[in-house]
Amino acid sequence: MNSYTFPSINLLQCKKGTQARVTDIFPQPKFGNQDPHVSLRLKELGFLPGARIEVIGFGFLGADPLALKVNGTKFALRRTEAEKIGVEIIPTGNH
Amino acid sequence: MTHFHRFALVGNPNCGKTSLFNRLTGARAKVANYPGVTVEKRSGIITGLASPIEILDLPGTYSLFVTSPDEQVARDIILGKLEGEQLPDLLIAVVDACNLRLGMRLVMELKSLNRPMVLALNQMDEAKRRGIVIDTQSLSTAIGIPIIETIAVNSHGVDQLRKHLDNYAQNTSILEGEQILTLSDRQESIEALYAEIESLMSRFVVQPVQYPVWQDRIDSVVMHPWLGILFLFSVLLVIFQAVFAWATPVVDLIDAGFSQTGSWISTYLPDGILKDFLIDGLIAGVGGVLVFLPQIIILFFFILVLEDSGYLTRAAFLLDRPMRGLGLSGRSFIPLLSSFACAVPGIMATRTISDPRERFITIMVAPLMTCSARLPVYALIIAAFIPQQTVWGIFNLQGLTLFALYFAGIVSAALIAWILRRQAAREEFPLLLELPSYRWPMAYHLLTGLRERAWIFIRRVGTIILALSIVLWFLATFPGAPEGATAPAIEYSYAGQLGTWMQPLFAPLGFNWQMCIALIPAMGAREVAVSALATVYAVGEDSIDVALGTTLAASWSLPVAFSYLAWFVYAPQCISTIAVVKRETNSVKSTVFFTLYLFALAYFAAWVTYQIASSIVS
Repeated sequence: MNSYTFPSINLLQCKKGTQARVTDIFPQPKFGNQDPHVSLRLKELGFLPGARIEVIGFGFLGADPLALKVNGTKFALRRTEAEKIGVEIIPTGNH
Repeated sequence: MTHFHRFALVGNPNCGKTSLFNRLTGARAKVANYPGVTVEKRSGIITGLASPIEILDLPGTYSLFVTSPDEQVARDIILGKLEGEQLPDLLIAVVDACNLRLGMRLVMELKSLNRPMVLALNQMDEAKRRGIVIDTQSLSTAIGIPIIETIAVNSHGVDQLRKHLDNYAQNTSILEGEQILTLSDRQESIEALYAEIESLMSRFVVQPVQYPVWQDRIDSVVMHPWLGILFLFSVLLVIFQAVFAWATPVVDLIDAGFSQTGSWISTYLPDGILKDFLIDGLIAGVGGVLVFLPQIIILFFFILVLEDSGYLTRAAFLLDRPMRGLGLSGRSFIPLLSSFACAVPGIMATRTISDPRERFITIMVAPLMTCSARLPVYALIIAAFIPQQTVWGIFNLQGLTLFALYFAGIVSAALIAWILRRQAAREEFPLLLELPSYRWPMAYHLLTGLRERAWIFIRRVGTIILALSIVLWFLATFPGAPEGATAPAIEYSYAGQLGTWMQPLFAPLGFNWQMCIALIPAMGAREVAVSALATVYAVGEDSIDVALGTTLAASWSLPVAFSYLAWFVYAPQCISTIAVVKRETNSVKSTVFFTLYLFALAYFAAWVTYQIASSIVS
């Protein structure tokens, strides 16, 4: 992680094909009371700080949900969940 | 109290758990329900062992800290908390070797329970193909759990697993008495657990960075915003065409077989009650339904292939946003698709939905997906009234009509869901859906699934449908016509009386009394409507004409046929569907609502269809 990285943004702001590294899991008010559970499940599935993510595509309407790859496993997340995941973009040509 | 060892298969969804289960048990699953909860319980006996071992196939789960009713059951069994289910003697953790981190996380969580456990490292062939190298021996020593490499497609590793299980059973006694484990709060953070896994991975696993390229290529088309949707609709259209067109030769063959038997009986048996019973009751009733077996098998074949290949979750991904507008989500897609086969497993599959309201809506609209039991009714009426014609060069008019009926169900489901959604706002629930790797569906697994489905259908024909056919034949035959009667004998029978009594209620829909009679046993099982019509019309006719379609075409007008089809699109649900709704919602109010709204909808739709069709025809 010595290479230069951009300041932290959330996954929603990433384009298709972006490679990124997870930095934080943010709270999401839209999930109300169960937000801590969503955070836990995200972590259990491997969305932990340091994990490498690749955005692989978007859904049918309104670019929702988005598909991504983490630790070699593909997942579909809605925009609401994606907003919880803070990332730093790994500049392309660096992997 | 059982006298067998009881082992449980635990693992992530899509780890190949069920294929492994089929291998171990020789595909002899006993499917039942857990007492008190409605989750399907798949159990079986491991074959080829000295002492029998019962094995449970638990619902797939990512974690013991659960988020859906499905995962709840898996956890409760693992902990011995489910009433009437003893703590398993041994846990068999199944891990997909291509998806090690996620699988190992669950294993580490299970390990903290301190229960006897063995790890089956599944999909080893695919892992090797991808260049994943695992030092199984050292990994096993490091985590203190025996590891056996398995490949669910061939039996090599499975035999080794079987030997290991046998050995374990020989050397340990069966757990006696009730035992409940308590799951302590998370002792270590997820971060610490993953750090441990990372360290294991770096020591014992060599993993290439590259995900197989062909997988990504498929996804770039299949998950493309509009190419993907186009692909999905093509797939669905092909399925419905296949159900109608491919099955025809076999259907004709079975039909001819029954006709042959019928005429053979009528030649060699003396006239009398026995002959009437065999031809009008048995052959017309049972044969009339059994001919639809090929179509049901084709439908299930496609659903199983789509599910096993990993495609279904892609469809769920594409449809998530559109479905959310209706209060559903991509997760509801799979239960709803299963409902095309049968609403009962479809409704049970809603357990994977964590949002209670979304689950409720999915249950309410699931029966609007045309189930395979309605297929015989559609097929009969379509074949009798819609000409065999090619449209636009490739489509068959009958196939298109069938597609339209299915479509009507889908549109109505969307509408109802949209209306139900308009109650009370609430917080959002996450999607968090894993998109598993594509995989060639395994012939063995497919055949097992098809055999299970075909067998369930044949058993129904042999039991419920046979029994109802006999009852109906009796009602349609007795009492006989009085001396000097002018009308056909059946009009004097019990069935005739009942039908005549019901008919005024259904007169606005254009139904005649024969159609009314068929509605009663259809409550038991929808496809019985066909055998009921067959019996009623066969008893009424003088000739022994087995071709029911021809009889219907002669006695129903087109608007009546359409009205009957419309009724069955919304068809008052069969008893088993109502029962499963009661169990799954655990609410009398919801069940009553469910029953009444579908009945009202069916009546209204048939009425509108009849009125419109009549005005067009005249």
